[in-house]
Amino acid sequence: MADERERAAVVLIGVGNALRHDDAAGLEVARLVRARAGAAGIAVREQEGEALGLLDQWEGAEAALLVDAIRSGAPPGTVHRMDASAQPLHAELRGSSSTHAVGMGEAIELGRALGRLPPRVVVYGVEGRCFGAGSGLSEEVEAAIGPLSETVLREARRLAT
Amino acid sequence: MSEGGGSGRRTRIIRTDYLARVEGEGAMYVKLDGREVLDVKLRIYEPPRFFEALLRGRAFTEAPDITARICGICPVAYQMSAVRAMEDACGVAIDEGPLRDLRRLLYCGEWIESHSLHIYMLHAPDFLGYASAVEMAREHRDVVERGLQMKKAGNALMALVGGREIHPINVRVGGFYRAPSRSELRALRDPLQSARETALATVRWAAALPFPDVECAPELIALSEPGAYPIDLGRIHSDGGLDIAPAAFDEHFVEEHVEHSNALHARRRGGGPYLVGPLARYALSSGLLRAPALEAARAAGLGAICRNPFKSIIVRAVELVQACDEALAIIADYEEPDAPAVEVIPRRAVGHGATEAPRGLLYHRYEIDEDGSILDARIVPPTSQNQLVIEQDLRAVVEDGLDLPDEQLALRCEQAIRNHDPCISCATHFLTLTVDRG
Repeated sequence: MADERERAAVVLIGVGNALRHDDAAGLEVARLVRARAGAAGIAVREQEGEALGLLDQWEGAEAALLVDAIRSGAPPGTVHRMDASAQPLHAELRGSSSTHAVGMGEAIELGRALGRLPPRVVVYGVEGRCFGAGSGLSEEVEAAIGPLSETVLREARRLAT
Repeated sequence: MSEGGGSGRRTRIIRTDYLARVEGEGAMYVKLDGREVLDVKLRIYEPPRFFEALLRGRAFTEAPDITARICGICPVAYQMSAVRAMEDACGVAIDEGPLRDLRRLLYCGEWIESHSLHIYMLHAPDFLGYASAVEMAREHRDVVERGLQMKKAGNALMALVGGREIHPINVRVGGFYRAPSRSELRALRDPLQSARETALATVRWAAALPFPDVECAPELIALSEPGAYPIDLGRIHSDGGLDIAPAAFDEHFVEEHVEHSNALHARRRGGGPYLVGPLARYALSSGLLRAPALEAARAAGLGAICRNPFKSIIVRAVELVQACDEALAIIADYEEPDAPAVEVIPRRAVGHGATEAPRGLLYHRYEIDEDGSILDARIVPPTSQNQLVIEQDLRAVVEDGLDLPDEQLALRCEQAIRNHDPCISCATHFLTLTVDRG
């Protein structure tokens, strides 16, 4: 794992909780991409639990692609793409609305403040419908993650070359 | 954050709908009429209730994996209480030997990880006057890096023994799927020794922070084990003389539903609020700390008991030293077990498990069928046990700070809540996004 970390130019990280229905979307995308990837220089990882672990996950990478579930009021299954390389995520995304002590947005900003952020950071958010306890994605999210996994893999390959 | 009362009245409402730097979702509500505190509420959206329902019908062997996802910060605590309860139901006790040592070692990793996170990322900004760890990092990079370095040592321990860093998958009822080798564990000595040094520096740093002169009076409850600082097993003790087995939990504690929160509030049967967590563990077992931790505590000016909730940051730092030192001791003496797990055969029974999560006592009770399927599950997390005390602390802070502007008072209240490191959480990761299209 350590060697792979040193070599990977691009890390694709699915973020989520496997037992919170649509919150598992990011993890599912990571699994789909892993099944298809096999591309040199791309590492696919999953991040459950608190978000500060992301700082270690993307350490040494040139680019990080993060995939997480999101709740913005858009129709379920909608995919948002946000570039956090040079500026913070939208204020509401930065962590204060996350259910985490340190949310993904805050982990990104902490990385930026400490000089521990890859030069390129892109966040994909899948609009979820159901975040209650339980496994299985909603129909809309299930339909969205296949095309999304292809989109993020394409971007990962482009960044890795 | 605040809103005025009716015209001519001096009603003040202080409200924080989201509590920053508290794991999970929660909200605080304070209502004042002039100088009178009318109401103090801490609202919690608590997940274990959902998970209890999710567990019913599942196999007893699934409980550690499922409950590990209740909390993003302390998955090991949930796993350990779950496996102990299931083993108790099946008549198995892993109270000594290499498997128990490995569990304690894994739990040390979680204490290191969780306490580092709380001290440096969540609690330190309160004391140093920053709104968040991000802002603090810009001016106190060294402070944040210290926290991250220790957290990484804890994560490495969890990754090796637990299977992966967060939500370990190597834990099972009866032991582990795979036991680490001696040489694998020895590779962790250097980072743990560095972490112990940093933890000692953390105690010195925390002791020099400014603290208000306050004390909390509730009964202190924690596990106790002869000859060892409590982590992964023990009897439930209190400074009021309680001494019971985990199986007797329900005879002595009751959870009550309160309207403003979907979490249950725990109290002693026939008694009042009680406190679990570092202050309680320290008060009941400080004499059993390992030498480096005990010396650090004494040098920091802590007596045998500390009742100032703001000073919990020092006690957590002392426990960081303890966890690093204990982990090193376990690694030094480790002998690989003959098998990574003992056989656990299900039977129709009820089992109880209690361990010390970083935030305090975590109690699980399961009823399983003869085929091992879970008939009933009950999980009492530390935060629901501390909720009444947190509200009492909030009331005291408000009464003491009536002349402060709303914003400062709200900040003081949030700090009082964070003193107890409440894990209000569910480990969901979704983000709420508001787009202003105006």
